[in-house]
Amino acid sequence: MSNAPAEATKAEEAPAEEIDLEPANHIIDKYLTLPGNLMPVLQGIQDEYGYVPRPTIDLVAERLNVYPSQIFGVLTFYAQFHLKPRGRFIIRVCVGTACHVQGAPRIVETFFDKLGIGHAETTPDLRYTFEKVACLGACGMAPLAMVNDSTYGQMTVQKVDQIIADYNQRPMKK
Amino acid sequence: MVTLTIDDKQVTVSKDATIYDAAKAAGIRIPIICHDKKLQPFGGCRMCLVEVEQMKGRQIPACTTPVTEGMIVRTSTDEIIKARKMVLELLLLKHPIDCPVCDAAGDCDLQNLTYEYQVNTNRFQDEKFNWKIDYENPLIERDMNRCVHCGKCARICDEIVSFGAYSFINRGIQARIGTEFDGPLNCEFCGSCVSVCPVGALISRPFKFKARWWSLNKVKSVCSYCGTGCQLTLGVKNNEVMTTIYDENQGFHNGQLCTRGRWGYQFVNSEKRLTTPMIRKNGKLEPASWDEALGLVAKRLGDAKGSPDSLAALVSPRLTNEELFVMKKLFKETLGCDNIDHAGGYSHKALTAGAKESLGYAGSPSVIADIKKTNLLLVIKTDAYETHPVLGFEINLAVKQHGVDIRLLSDKKGKLSKLPNAQTYVHKAGADLLLVNAIAKVILDESLHNAAAAQAIGGFSAWQQSLANCAIDQVAAQCGVDTDTIKGLARDYAAAEKALIILPTGMGYPGHGKEMAQAVINLALLTGRVGKEGCGVLILGEKNNSQGAADLAIYPTAGGKEAQAILAGCAAGSIKTLFIAGENPVVSYPNRSQVEKALDAVEFLVVSELFLTETSAKAHVVLPACSFAEKEGTFTSVGGAVQRINPAIKAIGQSRSDLAILNGLFQAITGQPAYANSAAAFLDLAATVPGYAGLTQAGLGDNGAIRAVSGTATFVPVPAAVPTSEAGKFALVTGSALNHCGTLSLYGEGPMLVCPAGYIELSREDAKAVGVKDGETVKVSSATGEVKLAVKVGSRVPKGLVFAPYHFADSSINTITSGNAITWVSLAK
Repeated sequence: MSNAPAEATKAEEAPAEEIDLEPANHIIDKYLTLPGNLMPVLQGIQDEYGYVPRPTIDLVAERLNVYPSQIFGVLTFYAQFHLKPRGRFIIRVCVGTACHVQGAPRIVETFFDKLGIGHAETTPDLRYTFEKVACLGACGMAPLAMVNDSTYGQMTVQKVDQIIADYNQRPMKK
Repeated sequence: MVTLTIDDKQVTVSKDATIYDAAKAAGIRIPIICHDKKLQPFGGCRMCLVEVEQMKGRQIPACTTPVTEGMIVRTSTDEIIKARKMVLELLLLKHPIDCPVCDAAGDCDLQNLTYEYQVNTNRFQDEKFNWKIDYENPLIERDMNRCVHCGKCARICDEIVSFGAYSFINRGIQARIGTEFDGPLNCEFCGSCVSVCPVGALISRPFKFKARWWSLNKVKSVCSYCGTGCQLTLGVKNNEVMTTIYDENQGFHNGQLCTRGRWGYQFVNSEKRLTTPMIRKNGKLEPASWDEALGLVAKRLGDAKGSPDSLAALVSPRLTNEELFVMKKLFKETLGCDNIDHAGGYSHKALTAGAKESLGYAGSPSVIADIKKTNLLLVIKTDAYETHPVLGFEINLAVKQHGVDIRLLSDKKGKLSKLPNAQTYVHKAGADLLLVNAIAKVILDESLHNAAAAQAIGGFSAWQQSLANCAIDQVAAQCGVDTDTIKGLARDYAAAEKALIILPTGMGYPGHGKEMAQAVINLALLTGRVGKEGCGVLILGEKNNSQGAADLAIYPTAGGKEAQAILAGCAAGSIKTLFIAGENPVVSYPNRSQVEKALDAVEFLVVSELFLTETSAKAHVVLPACSFAEKEGTFTSVGGAVQRINPAIKAIGQSRSDLAILNGLFQAITGQPAYANSAAAFLDLAATVPGYAGLTQAGLGDNGAIRAVSGTATFVPVPAAVPTSEAGKFALVTGSALNHCGTLSLYGEGPMLVCPAGYIELSREDAKAVGVKDGETVKVSSATGEVKLAVKVGSRVPKGLVFAPYHFADSSINTITSGNAITWVSLAK
């Protein structure tokens, strides 16, 4: 059994990605001459593509003259970076103490059932990514869920249906 | 200087020393795992904790803490020992206890420290890791379960090798050493990471399960591949060289080796080694006795004494100085034959004809240590890294640790182009000479030169006159480098307090011959940079003893024929006997079909070799020679360091050293041996070869000695041709592949596992235009022939230029090259 986290995509498993590198080039242009430019460049790329696609890592390595291994080290160190495509809507459910006693596990299970994905996974249509998180800092609203920046307190199993129905209607592009 | 007390011992060290350095100087051992003297301090393993009284007795890492005046340090108090034991317990928490099957056993810092600190129980318990072991490359096995996170592999790969294959990936308990995208290792395979790994996380696959570390006999010697002159330690068992052993205290390079030196030792014990002399009988080579073979050769040589013009020799600069000396004595003095040359008649000309004429001696005016002492490095052709990889490491260190400014003048980019602030001036193929002259012209025009120094040197005004018609604007247009860039480079070069030019040469660099060496020497002389520390020109002779062969004048000196003329003479029938020692002209000299014709035509061909190569297979008599690991003698490196090699194993089969072979021939012809042994030959050599005076083999010790150079410098006008182009054709430049050196490395399993066959490097645009993808085969044709090669698509080569290494016997590139700097080729799918 491998201890490798889900994020650490093995090279041989990585699908051949064909992406437009133009936006990544623009982001690199913007920071090219600044010292300490690796983080803002990677953040810019993540903002643009929703994750950090492999071809952009090779591009950044080439243009900023940083080893690809070092970039990979940075990307796997910070939780903010993602190496696989993520959903348009990121659903986070708090499983901290307060939420747990208020029934968070059932909320999580319901999301799993309805979306057909587990923790840190993304639906094949790239609409949803689901994540259990330790605390969202709003214990008064327990159990709590968030979809992107919107907060949903006092979650119930029924509210899960409503949320999914609502977000199913929303457009995929920002 | 700072004085401090360590374990009640007073010690005075320089103010930039660490406590660890100071303790070492005082003879006090502090245990370390993550520290290596070549690397920047890291302080990650906590084994070197010591107590410092002024810091309220706190435990601090000795390897990262600088010394201060009056510091009182204790390295082995009860508390310290307790702390170290705990560090070991914590490391052993995750580290698998698989010492019986681990190749590092006996050479493992963790194992040794566990024994020393008697950690026989562990208060902690945890599940072991179960990371997948990387077996996906043939040379380095990566078992991250054994890793202790010292980071040495990632640090050496970054700081010294500048490849950056490794990095810490993930975080927290999941953190480990990984590669890009956590894929299999895909690097230069220099093995530096294996050499510094303190445990068995990174191990050598070719050595795996061959021998226990403590059962190896360790013999110090000098690498027999390129001219860098890296010292190495061979691990020997049962008359077999099993591996090379890392010794951080060895050589200027602190034990660092490249991919060939580290993994290319297998040729010594190769099953393909020749074990008996062979004589051609009825068209077939058949085993013979030494007496018969030597008798036949001696008779032939003796008979030719009256007509020395019918005799010739091609000698490999892989032979020791002593062997070359006897060769010279036999051919030049005894037989009166000056038709003697090495390496194709041009690749050594930078040293023998170029430097000799310009400086008065066939060598560089600079030494390897100058690389780190200079302010500006001007590297002509980026391949300095690929021809002499450990010098590449020195250049990396100079740039990264000493802030040396690096400028590259080349027809393509290379690894050195990626160094911090490196500037690469990519010019049209064949324009190097024109550009070097233009730089000199700018310096002259703007009076940036050292006028007093330059005018005192002979030939100045004639040379200055020769540059009168050099118009920078015109040169810029011809070279593809703009005027301002040329002027800027000239000004920077002239303004630098110290500047060193590096010029790689070798069989694969037909453009880097006599003229190029003279052009760069002119530039160094103009700025008064010859004979000063950190300045001058470093001409990198290709093979391990290229410099020795140049020093000993193994080239025609009294009007004899050079290699090309020798081969022409063989083909024409004027040369009837050819003696080849260690060279493989069929594969390495340009124009293979012509070389083969010459060798087929010569009446009597003798080859002394390690293997039945493409050349020795054509011989009438084959003499099995010893490798460097079986003999004693000396090699002279590119920086002029004369270093001793030591016999590590007994001769394979009936093979004999070239010294013994030549001595035998000498005795058969003259009635007495030339020398009793290699030390006696060296004694005579030191007495007659300029610069070697006063040296003795025994006196060289482990570190060797730099031989002196002296001579009278002269400016030599060097006419530069305007680069040509041929419509629709590509400029083929040849050179060295990182994993190979000459054709010897083809018998080293390690290099062949990584780089087994020739290839041709194309730019992305050209690959698209030709319609080939990476890895596909392309037909390359020139006026002299046609060859099929695998395509390597990359960003190193510019549009219109293709690059191919020259080492390989199958589909060898010399089928299509003719000896010109540029070969114009057509590519077809």
